Amino acid sequence: MSLVHFFLEHREEILQSSIEHVWLVAISMLLAILAGVPLGIAITRKPWLSKPILGGANVAETIPSLALFGFLLPVPWLGARADRLAIVALALYALLPIIRNTVAGIQGIDPGVRDAARAMGMTGRQILLRVELPLSLPVLLAGIRVATVWTVGIATIAAAIGAGGLGEFIFRGLAMVDNRVILEGAIPAAILALAADIGIGMLERRLRHPR
Amino acid sequence: MSGVRRWILFGVAATMFFACGCGRRRNTIVIGSKNFPEQAILGELLAQHIESRTGLRVERRFYLSGTYICHQALLAGRIDMYVEYTGTALTAILKETPKGDPQAVFERVRNEYARRFGLIVEPPLGFNDSFAIVVRGDDARRYGIHTISEAAKYTPSWRAGFGYEFMERPDGYDGLAKAYGLKFAGTPRVMDLGLLYRALLDHQVDIVAGNTTDGQLVTGSFAVLDDDKHYFPPYQAVPIVRNEVLRQHPAIATALTELAGKISDQDMQRMNYEVVGEHKDTAVVVRAFLHSKHLD
Amino acid sequence: MNATQAAEICIEFRDAEFRIGGRPVLKSFSLAVNRGETLVLLGRSGSGKTTALKLVNRLLEPSAGEVRVEGRSTLEWDPIRLRRRIGYVIQEAGLFPHFTVERNVALVPQLENWPRERISERVHELLRIAGLDPEQFARRYPHELSGGQRQRVGVARALGADPPILLMDEPFGALDVLTRAEIQREFLELQRQLRKTVIFVTHDVREALLMGTRIALLETGELAGVYTPQEFLRATEPIAAAYVSAFRADVMPQTSAKRGGQ
Repeated sequence: MSLVHFFLEHREEILQSSIEHVWLVAISMLLAILAGVPLGIAITRKPWLSKPILGGANVAETIPSLALFGFLLPVPWLGARADRLAIVALALYALLPIIRNTVAGIQGIDPGVRDAARAMGMTGRQILLRVELPLSLPVLLAGIRVATVWTVGIATIAAAIGAGGLGEFIFRGLAMVDNRVILEGAIPAAILALAADIGIGMLERRLRHPR
Repeated sequence: MSGVRRWILFGVAATMFFACGCGRRRNTIVIGSKNFPEQAILGELLAQHIESRTGLRVERRFYLSGTYICHQALLAGRIDMYVEYTGTALTAILKETPKGDPQAVFERVRNEYARRFGLIVEPPLGFNDSFAIVVRGDDARRYGIHTISEAAKYTPSWRAGFGYEFMERPDGYDGLAKAYGLKFAGTPRVMDLGLLYRALLDHQVDIVAGNTTDGQLVTGSFAVLDDDKHYFPPYQAVPIVRNEVLRQHPAIATALTELAGKISDQDMQRMNYEVVGEHKDTAVVVRAFLHSKHLD
Repeated sequence: MNATQAAEICIEFRDAEFRIGGRPVLKSFSLAVNRGETLVLLGRSGSGKTTALKLVNRLLEPSAGEVRVEGRSTLEWDPIRLRRRIGYVIQEAGLFPHFTVERNVALVPQLENWPRERISERVHELLRIAGLDPEQFARRYPHELSGGQRQRVGVARALGADPPILLMDEPFGALDVLTRAEIQREFLELQRQLRKTVIFVTHDVREALLMGTRIALLETGELAGVYTPQEFLRATEPIAAAYVSAFRADVMPQTSAKRGGQ
């Protein structure tokens, strides 16, 4: 059976797994953003936090993904469900680029703009919400884009611990020594990564303000 | 602002897509299996039988890595059923110590699975797929050994070969070595299940842990050592099914009950041999078996 | 003009000092600024003039001494309320690049929760005062404007909620000669009408002489003298004199040989 035929025959499975995969990536990216952006903001307010926060995220980054999944297995509530565990691990991985880019984005703002904002009597919160975050959005989005593409890739490994997603095809295909099944996972995963890259890239371009 | 409105529309569409995309087609069920041939055979058997008895469409998701993966897939609803072994369920999933009697083990597993996971354990399919400690037939005859205890005298000069799961599982290598006071020459070689018998024949190893239903055992080259101390817990093959699926399709329960006790140890060995040894197509072998038992 | 006659003190530096990591950038700075005057802080780069300016709207806090605005120490003021009463214009305008001209100018009135129509009116009024046609410029973005136009918007924004005080840090320094001259003239005219209390920082003697009612000279963080423009031109103190002769040499090169004042 030709590859195209094979894909068409199993299109429902592929779609189902793709949705599982997107779900894994989406939830973990959401968590990473919800945690990472405030942490990044905190670093711009108190620079001494940079070492502990970035250091911590760096440690999570250097642990090989499969090992990180393995470490978290014995943790009580997390290890009970593989998809929960995978989401937490994936979120930890995505933290570093998001924190770094939040910091870079905010610090990259023309100091004159920030001075002017303070001088006009904007409170810290107003400056954050109306000036710093909107202006650092393109850089932040770049970090989100990189993190998302990484996460799509690392999420394929999550299947090794039972979290589902497109990686499951890859592992099953390896066990069955069937290249078509491997590709059932590999090709959609690559397409997802590309789509994320292009999609978020378009968003970045639309929001970019020439300074 | 048309820009913002467009994003809101997109968000709503995406959410709707997710919401209905997550449900599977109503008359399809997914059957999983672990990643070795016997599991694929059993999965195919369940699949064909359910297809013929209930008219449901069955999606086969075989060769999932192992016990943990299958269990997680079941919990998450990615598969609706797979065949597990009672001893494995007891030790690897429920994390309890094995207690010998097969019926007691089955009932414990059935009760705990229902209570902790909401999963239904169906009656055993008939055979016991326990670990088999296997040596070359020649060696067994030469040393006159029939049990593991008898072999314990000779193992210090033998190299052992085991599969990954056997090495890691609490009811595997560690417990066995302790129970029989076994020592081997060097550390056991760890290799893929499929390569163990070949390595044994080639004298790369002298004693392996296979399974009582391995197809290779049909030939005369190997001898299974008796587990005289009854170390290994019973490993009766049982289908494990998600409760929701049984409620949605009660005909499945009937179909599974029909399979209870229909597969003997020898039946399983033979099917394994046909698929692994004679390279016959799994679906064909299963169809022939069901026909022979008048189950089609 | 007699600066001490019946003048009300609006801003006062009392022995103010500012240190960065132990090093004094501004020391023993004492100066009174009267309501309605344009006080120029003249000095080289690094002389502490921007620092002095930032002490007024509490972008910086004095390491010693105090700075008083409208009778109260800056440290006693609620910083937000203080800054709302002070307009701030800087060299590169510091306009928000993601806001239209209109939104930029409307910033302080909006922070002060003015009703929408009043804000809109005010923005148009300010743009006109700053020499920009509201129809043309209100909806443009800063990056679409020339340097001079941006600076005008900066001034308009600073005047947003009609603050009594203006702080200006080399606001016209980045503009070309012609635009600068034009905008200086217009600002002078504006100041004549509005009578704001202005502190104007510059290193350009000509600008100082043109814009200021008084000139405060700063050198290495210390006050080196306060003069009216005429007094400045006649000054004999070394630093002031140095500035003046440099200025004359610059303006009238052929008379540089003629040393001394008139």
